[in-house]
Amino acid sequence: MTTAACFIIASRSDIPIYEAEVGSAAKREDAAQLPQFILQAALDIVQDLAWTTSAMILKTIDKFNDLVVSVYVTDDHILNIDDGIKSFFQEVHELYIKSLLNPLYLPGSRITSSHFDTKVGALARNFFCSRTQYRA
Amino acid sequence: MADPASTPLGKMLLEEITPVVMVLCTPYVEESCLKNGLSLIQLLSPFCDFTNIDVPVRTASDQPYRLRKFKLRLFYSSDIRQPNLEVAKERLKKVITHVGEKNFLESSDPSQVNNLLSRPESEMLPSWFQFFNKELVRTLSFSDHEAFDHPVACLLVVSSKDDEPVNRFVDLFNTNKLPSLLNDGAMDPKIMKHYLLLHDNQDGPFNKLTLVEAGEAQFQANLVSIHAIQDFLICSAWSRDSVDNIINKKEAKDLYRATKLLADMRNAFGQNDCQIICFNSSQDGKIHHQDNPWAPFKSDALPTENLGCFLNLDDLNEIKDFMQELSSKHIIPYMEQKIRVLNQQVSATRKGFRNQIKNLWWRKGKEDTIDTPNGPVYTFNSIESQIRILGDYAFMLGDYELALSNYRLISTDYKLDKAWKRYAGVQEMMGLTYFLLDQSRKDAEYCMENAFNTYLKLGSAGRRNATRCGLWWAEMLKTRDQLKEAATVYFRICGEDTLHSAVMLEQASFCYLLSKPPMLHKYGFHLVLSGDHYKKCDQIKHAIRTYRSAIPVYKGTTWSLIKDHVHFHIGQWYALLGMYDVAVTHMLEVLASTHQSKTTQELFLRDFLQIVQKTGKTFEVLKLQLPVINISSLKVIFEDQRTNASAAAASVKESLWRSLEEDMIPSSTARSNWLELQSKIMPRKYKESNICVAGDANSSNNEVQNNEDRTSTSSGDINSCLILSEVDFSLEGGETTVVQLTVTPRIEGILKIVGVKWKLSSAVVGLCNFEFNPVNKKVVRGRRKQHSPCSDLKFLVIKSLPRLEGFIHSLPEKTYAGDLRPLVLELSNQSKFPVKNLKMKISNPRFLYAGNQKELNADFPACLKKKMNVEKSGRHANVNKTLQNLYHFPEDISVQEETSLSWPLWFHAAVPGNIPLYITIYYEMEGVSSIMKYRTLRMHYNLQVLPSLDVSFQLSTRPSRSQEFLLRMDVVNKTSSECFQVHQLSSVGQQWEISLLQPVDSILPSQSSFAGQSFSCFFMLKDRRRSSTSEDSIPSLSHIQSDVRLGPQDNSEAFFDVSSSPLADFHDCERSSQGMSSQVVNFLALTFFICITINQNLAHAFAFIFFLYQGCEYKVDFVFITQLPKGNSDSSSNTPLVFSHHACDCSPSSMSPISWLVDGPRTIQHNFSAPLCEVNLKMTITNSSDAIASVHINTFDSPSSNNKPIDDATTSQPPEHQSGWSEIPIVNDTKIITTEALTTRVPKSLSLESVPQFIWSGTSSTKLVLQPRSTAEIPLQICVFTPGIYDLSNYVLNWNLTPVNDGENQGEANKSSGVCQGYPYYLSVLESNFKD
Repeated sequence: MTTAACFIIASRSDIPIYEAEVGSAAKREDAAQLPQFILQAALDIVQDLAWTTSAMILKTIDKFNDLVVSVYVTDDHILNIDDGIKSFFQEVHELYIKSLLNPLYLPGSRITSSHFDTKVGALARNFFCSRTQYRA
Repeated sequence: MADPASTPLGKMLLEEITPVVMVLCTPYVEESCLKNGLSLIQLLSPFCDFTNIDVPVRTASDQPYRLRKFKLRLFYSSDIRQPNLEVAKERLKKVITHVGEKNFLESSDPSQVNNLLSRPESEMLPSWFQFFNKELVRTLSFSDHEAFDHPVACLLVVSSKDDEPVNRFVDLFNTNKLPSLLNDGAMDPKIMKHYLLLHDNQDGPFNKLTLVEAGEAQFQANLVSIHAIQDFLICSAWSRDSVDNIINKKEAKDLYRATKLLADMRNAFGQNDCQIICFNSSQDGKIHHQDNPWAPFKSDALPTENLGCFLNLDDLNEIKDFMQELSSKHIIPYMEQKIRVLNQQVSATRKGFRNQIKNLWWRKGKEDTIDTPNGPVYTFNSIESQIRILGDYAFMLGDYELALSNYRLISTDYKLDKAWKRYAGVQEMMGLTYFLLDQSRKDAEYCMENAFNTYLKLGSAGRRNATRCGLWWAEMLKTRDQLKEAATVYFRICGEDTLHSAVMLEQASFCYLLSKPPMLHKYGFHLVLSGDHYKKCDQIKHAIRTYRSAIPVYKGTTWSLIKDHVHFHIGQWYALLGMYDVAVTHMLEVLASTHQSKTTQELFLRDFLQIVQKTGKTFEVLKLQLPVINISSLKVIFEDQRTNASAAAASVKESLWRSLEEDMIPSSTARSNWLELQSKIMPRKYKESNICVAGDANSSNNEVQNNEDRTSTSSGDINSCLILSEVDFSLEGGETTVVQLTVTPRIEGILKIVGVKWKLSSAVVGLCNFEFNPVNKKVVRGRRKQHSPCSDLKFLVIKSLPRLEGFIHSLPEKTYAGDLRPLVLELSNQSKFPVKNLKMKISNPRFLYAGNQKELNADFPACLKKKMNVEKSGRHANVNKTLQNLYHFPEDISVQEETSLSWPLWFHAAVPGNIPLYITIYYEMEGVSSIMKYRTLRMHYNLQVLPSLDVSFQLSTRPSRSQEFLLRMDVVNKTSSECFQVHQLSSVGQQWEISLLQPVDSILPSQSSFAGQSFSCFFMLKDRRRSSTSEDSIPSLSHIQSDVRLGPQDNSEAFFDVSSSPLADFHDCERSSQGMSSQVVNFLALTFFICITINQNLAHAFAFIFFLYQGCEYKVDFVFITQLPKGNSDSSSNTPLVFSHHACDCSPSSMSPISWLVDGPRTIQHNFSAPLCEVNLKMTITNSSDAIASVHINTFDSPSSNNKPIDDATTSQPPEHQSGWSEIPIVNDTKIITTEALTTRVPKSLSLESVPQFIWSGTSSTKLVLQPRSTAEIPLQICVFTPGIYDLSNYVLNWNLTPVNDGENQGEANKSSGVCQGYPYYLSVLESNFKD
């Protein structure tokens, strides 16, 4: 069993502004696009739900075979999509807000900061290392 | 909601769950039917569907209702079995393939998602899904756990041609040949039978009516003779003729036979169950049916095939009537009857409280029985089967309430029996019944889900049933607008069969598309999934279709991996189909992206190239983004009146050239005239375009960046008017290179640069049109006017003009400072016209200087040597020429056609550093072109000048003799490896006499300076002017020593002549560049190669003696020149290299009025076992000014504070600084240099033991007053504790001048006070062991 998760922050207009593969699974070259497909497809459901519930964390909103999609909707309707624990989302949200505070960051553009990258990676390791499920 | 029966699912159910009629027939029957191109069942099928049969039926509880819609399904007995799985699959595959072919050809992609959604629903949803679903459901017919596929009736058909038809009827219903369903006890073999005798009129025409009537007559009369028929016919008022006709003809026999047959049949099988049909009445078989009723039933019929060609209208009506009668008079009543019977039975055994209890108890008791996978076997006469049959019959007759109650009843039974398959089947039917009743949606869905899950639980056995159930379920959800849920169901149907999964996924995707609001992401995703499945089953056309439908969804998004995946696969698949051109367009989309990993890129590129190669031709692709061309880096280098000698010159800023050429080219008024002239000549619209000359190359630089790793080739093509260059290059991944392409126009006209074309791996031709991105275009050498970008790439080609090419031979790229050598400039004229009026301007005259033509072949360095007879040769002649660095070639010099001109240049590496040299040569052409009168040739070279020798001079006056000066020269060899040979020192001008104070051998025994060395030597300098006035004797020029030989004294070599070109010229340049205006006194020091070892240098520790300042200003210029012996350097030439170093305006005026001398022992031997070693020193202080000076001497014991300046100098100059690069200003700052030259050596030589230093004993501060021009002596004492070498420089002299009278010596007044740092005085203290 592999432990892996794909984490994507998508902006309001469905543009992915941050992507990260976390976890220890050896990346399969042939299925590199699968998480993207799944997460992108899940956006449909998120769009529905985002306006109907007040909850920020939407757990297991979509499934593809054994891959589960969970979503964390931020205040300004920028969506972080992943499976995971509440605290992981909250931590990443904090990071995200920090990067939003950067006056040079244009909201909605891609996050390229390596600092952000390493932080997310570290957080993900904390939260997902014990898990034994491939998820997206 | 609309009537459930009219929904798609309702229609489907009403079609699919209908009574089955088993058809048995003889070969003759089939043969007759096939005359029409139809089988018996196909022939009958159109007449089995009754939209308004209007039959009154009563429910089990005697509630009458009318049945409107009814349908019979006819099957041959051989088909009444579970279809072969493989065959069924094959058939479905064929269906899909067929559809794929059809859709592939006519598919048109919507480019926008909006377009996709704007189409009506019916158009969006492919119609073949319906058909496929039906076919898929049909593969499951005749399962043993369901009863609605069990034949309700049996239709036996025998042809009138058959022998013994009655027996044939009996034979047909032979139990051995009957379907297994009837034989294995799954259903009751005693089913309703109907007998049909078929007469083919082609075999013998006879009137059916006649036959029937005759038959009836026969029965009544019980006659079997032909006469009786005849009589009967006559009695029946038939015309005599026709009767005769019948009887007389041979066919009368047949008639008789038929009549007899019918009678026999009726006898044998019952009055009402037998019927006779005559068909194929048309004689010629040319009947054409307007809307062919058989078309839907024979899909594979050829269009030319005329179905039912022998059937006339009467035949059709006859068949229709027969079927209607069969349905309404036989089958429906029979089913009704059966329902009643079964219902009664069920009521008797299962209804009521008592029965229920009994049943429960009984089932409980059965729990111990073996748990087979399919549950217990139920035969047709078991009560469970009967309930199921009852339910199905009721369902088929539209009595859904009854059906539902029975299904419910049986469902619990099956559940208890753990007959899961049957249970699921019943649940499925319950769901459908709920749906048709339009009650309780929840129940319907619950039942369907339950059934679906139960089937799935069965594993592979229930898989296909689950599929069917899922299809119905999804349809149900779709009917209720729960499209999202329907899509989920479709997704769940996907199972082992990838092909079916593909179709299901595609259906799911359409559900997402049609849902409100449309879920486009899901739509795309499922299309892609579906495409993948199609691909797995080799349904490539379907795969492409689905992927292409998904493109609009992903268009414009930044989900890069997705886009790559989609486009790449479409490309790949098109390639598989051999449609390479389409494949390439899709592949191109993938190639440009930069985010992919290297392996993916390699994969993409490999496939792409393979595809391209397979096409067998080269493509021209406008959007090929590999390699990436940086349009903004596009530079067009062209030459109008300005020509470039090399590419390096072209890359120099235009402004630089312009400033250089400013005073050389004709003035601005001339230029505007020239422009006016141009505008007159040229059509107005080309006025703003650039000019280039035919035959001259225009080149454009393109920066090409490669994101992939692959070879790419750039090329141009050639036609008669232009010569285009072709460049081959390969790029590694991520590499960026600049490619220069040239175009050489051959004829006059307009040249427009349109774009660049390149070939990737000799397969794909990329085109990049520069006009597409006009924003970033930049023409480097465009004219001053603001052009539109288009015109920047447009050139007016004028006729060929002379173009000089210039080259400087053997200009070194790297040399040492001071290098002096002759060079040759070669100008060649390849054209047919001479050029004249040459002018040259050099940006840096310190480095390069135009010589005299006669110097061209002079012997170097001999030409520099002093010649006895020509002393003042042309030295001042050059001064005018060098004015403002502009050199006019002599008037008579011109470069004739197809010749070249060589001109000498002098090169002198004045200062170290990276030196750019710009040379521009102006020339005029005569009468060649009215547009261009002159051209300039621009040359650009970069020099690297390394530091060689640092030379500094210090000049001091001798107190005793005012006309004599002491000159000290310090030389540091800063190179890392070179060894310079000392040659001579010269002063500029005639008024100075220079002589060595000490023989060179004592300073430099080897006469050469090794790398890293420093040395000093002293000279005596005499002002001959003063001496001449004082001594009244003018020495002849011959014996004036303005030069001093420092090389080997026995060398008879002549001195270098510093007063003639080029040394004098370069010296002037140095002077002007060092900011000297006019010279009062000129010194020129020619330096020589001096060599002392470090130890020697130390051994010759010396003291400076500052002489009284005379108040007379002398300014001296110093220049330092060095030379390398033959073959010692890396230069290829064999001649020795001469280096000259110039220093200007050195004067003693910078000295302070206070000078001092520390005097004392240099070396002391002391036995350190004694407590102290005291050394007495004497300081002689001289006040050279005319004012009273008060001097304050401070001594410091701590080396850290007062040695600071020395320390700094030491640390900032690492020991290996001589190989370093910094340019040290040697001019005018001789004192600092001197200090540096010494101090940098000091740390090396001093041992670490000198760190504890020494202490000044006696007073730490002494103050004294000095009268003008007086001298005082102060005793000093130090204490030394350990042996070592000490630098006694840690003291400071503060002096203050008090002027005697203010009117005089204004210059002195300015300098009223100052601080002097002590100078090094080295004292060696040795341990004297031997002395006790």
